[in-house]
Amino acid sequence: MSPGPAAALLAAAAVTALLADRTVSVAVLAVVLLAVCLQAPRGRRWPYLAGSLSTALMVFLVSPLVQHLGTHIVWTGPDLPALGRLDVTGEELEVALFQGVRLAAVALAFAAYALLLDHDRLLQAAGFARRSVLAVGLATRLVPTLERDVRGLVEALRGRGVEVRGLWSHARLLSPLVAGSLERGLNLAEAMEARGYGRPGRTRTPRAPWGRLDHAALIVAPALVLIGALWL
Amino acid sequence: MALARATEVSFTYPEGDEPALDSVSLELDPGEAVALLGPSGSGKSTLLRALSGLVPHFHGGRFAGQVEIAGRDTRLERPAEFAGLVATLFQDPEDQVVLDRVEHEVTFGLENLGTLPAEILPRAHAALAVVGAQHLASRRIETLSAGELQRVCLASAFALEPQLVLLDEPTSQLDPEGAEAILDLALGSGAAVVISEQRPSLPLERCERVVFMERGRLLLDAPREEALEWLLENRPAYLPRQPAQPWGDMAGGETLCRVDRATFSYGDRPVLDGASLKLRRGEIVALTGPNGIGKTTLAKLVAGLLEPDSGRVQRVGRASYLSQDPGRYLIRERADEEVALSVGGDLAGARRSLAEVGLAGLEHRHPRDLSSGERERLALAAVLVTEPDVLVLDEPTRGIDPLRKEELANLLRQDSDRRATLVVTHDLVFAGDVADRLVPLGVREAALA
Repeated sequence: MSPGPAAALLAAAAVTALLADRTVSVAVLAVVLLAVCLQAPRGRRWPYLAGSLSTALMVFLVSPLVQHLGTHIVWTGPDLPALGRLDVTGEELEVALFQGVRLAAVALAFAAYALLLDHDRLLQAAGFARRSVLAVGLATRLVPTLERDVRGLVEALRGRGVEVRGLWSHARLLSPLVAGSLERGLNLAEAMEARGYGRPGRTRTPRAPWGRLDHAALIVAPALVLIGALWL
Repeated sequence: MALARATEVSFTYPEGDEPALDSVSLELDPGEAVALLGPSGSGKSTLLRALSGLVPHFHGGRFAGQVEIAGRDTRLERPAEFAGLVATLFQDPEDQVVLDRVEHEVTFGLENLGTLPAEILPRAHAALAVVGAQHLASRRIETLSAGELQRVCLASAFALEPQLVLLDEPTSQLDPEGAEAILDLALGSGAAVVISEQRPSLPLERCERVVFMERGRLLLDAPREEALEWLLENRPAYLPRQPAQPWGDMAGGETLCRVDRATFSYGDRPVLDGASLKLRRGEIVALTGPNGIGKTTLAKLVAGLLEPDSGRVQRVGRASYLSQDPGRYLIRERADEEVALSVGGDLAGARRSLAEVGLAGLEHRHPRDLSSGERERLALAAVLVTEPDVLVLDEPTRGIDPLRKEELANLLRQDSDRRATLVVTHDLVFAGDVADRLVPLGVREAALA
């Protein structure tokens, strides 16, 4: 499938997840998207899957503790100064499950976009908003680049006898990672300028014509959103 | 008519106190090849950026004088407007790649220049063929080796059919054969070529004209023969020379690391197959070999950063490892704190180590404010401060000028009896200067004494 229609389909899936009201519908969508993501090479997919699923799990675990909803208490916890009594109700668990699954579906749609789409061809196909498409493409590359940078920093620290263990130690790497990304961004911008980026009159490499699958995806995408809004 | 002309160009970066270029005048004729030499921070990269219009447009700062390319004043047009005329290959190829696949990366510049759509792909493939990289066209950029990536960047430049090619240390990550191939490709393109290099042998062999810079000024602009005489008299460290014979096998010395028939694979890609190596206290071993043969992997096994799939690695005492990338030693806000991080916050020890590598007085500076050469030395200080029994240095001369290489060799030899040192390097001259023993990692199955 061409990257344009594929991107439209994934965007439709994410919007449907946001519009749908039923946990089961969103869960089915999330499972389908997870299956799509699993088509990506193992080495590339794990940071996306870990990020998507762990964030969804956090939402499921934390949101019942901060909400005050429903009357069917399933767990009662201690009294905390700012939050009041911690308790969890059945209704809160239902909402938390729905929110968690919804977040997972949206995050997995992005993961599929990042992992499986040919961003170069998407950029070439962009007839308008080319700068925005390029910016999104470069931002998408940020995740694997940051993951590689973290590995490099941790390895260099281990090489001088400093072990990086636990969340706090990793969190302290955030500032150098961001600074390094900014520095790399400047270098890239300079290289792009030197290669004529932003000149008027640019042309496009001819792209392969769309097939039946591509046309079908463009029909299914809005239909999916409509179905999600009305019936799911 | 000159293809490029710089007239009395002076330039100071926005954050700089001293001018990076100081009254530089230079003319380049079509098709000529110029070797641009000089120490780190002498203004070579800035001059290349001025010749492409990136200075001052992209960097800001104070600019005086004039640069003309094919009669067009660079101050009056954006650098992008010169893209078909001038092509620049920057120091770090990874930082100049825009797209994900090789073929698309090469077409990026052609599209920007408004090339007819029907011509874009044929020109991209022709450029890839010229650099011997046509077989890489469909590959993802992230899967390329350093040498392959540099070829792709060169193809991206050639595809635009520039008249002036500016190469900023294009071979710093390449083995001697790869470096020779890249230079020959650039020089064979027919364009005027300016090559800035810290391994001066190759450019001095192949360029008919030599420019030497120091503190932003041109100290020399002369034909090769005259330049070689000047270098002999004034800057002998830059003269081409054959690698020296290693210092000789050290007798005795406790064995501090023994790698025995180690194998290692990254996923399903085997890198080492039965490699063996012994390091003794007091000796410096240089590990050489082509790109991608597994030198870094073997070095990481020695340092304990990787575990072999099979075989054994035995180590005595503490091992420390200096990464190829000095950007990985920029975690703290001050240079001395960065070094102290390696030794539990011992600032006094950190400052001693900084002084040893020639960074005394820069303790308070933010590591990111240091020049690339200073960053290299900061990284070295951060590793030396740990006083390891086994010291592993991975390409420690990358981006370092010949004088600094001599200093580094002296520094490593100075305390070499305290430890076993393994130096991974493509720089055979440096290897000859520093090592007691050379270990060429040539074939994967090699069992090394």
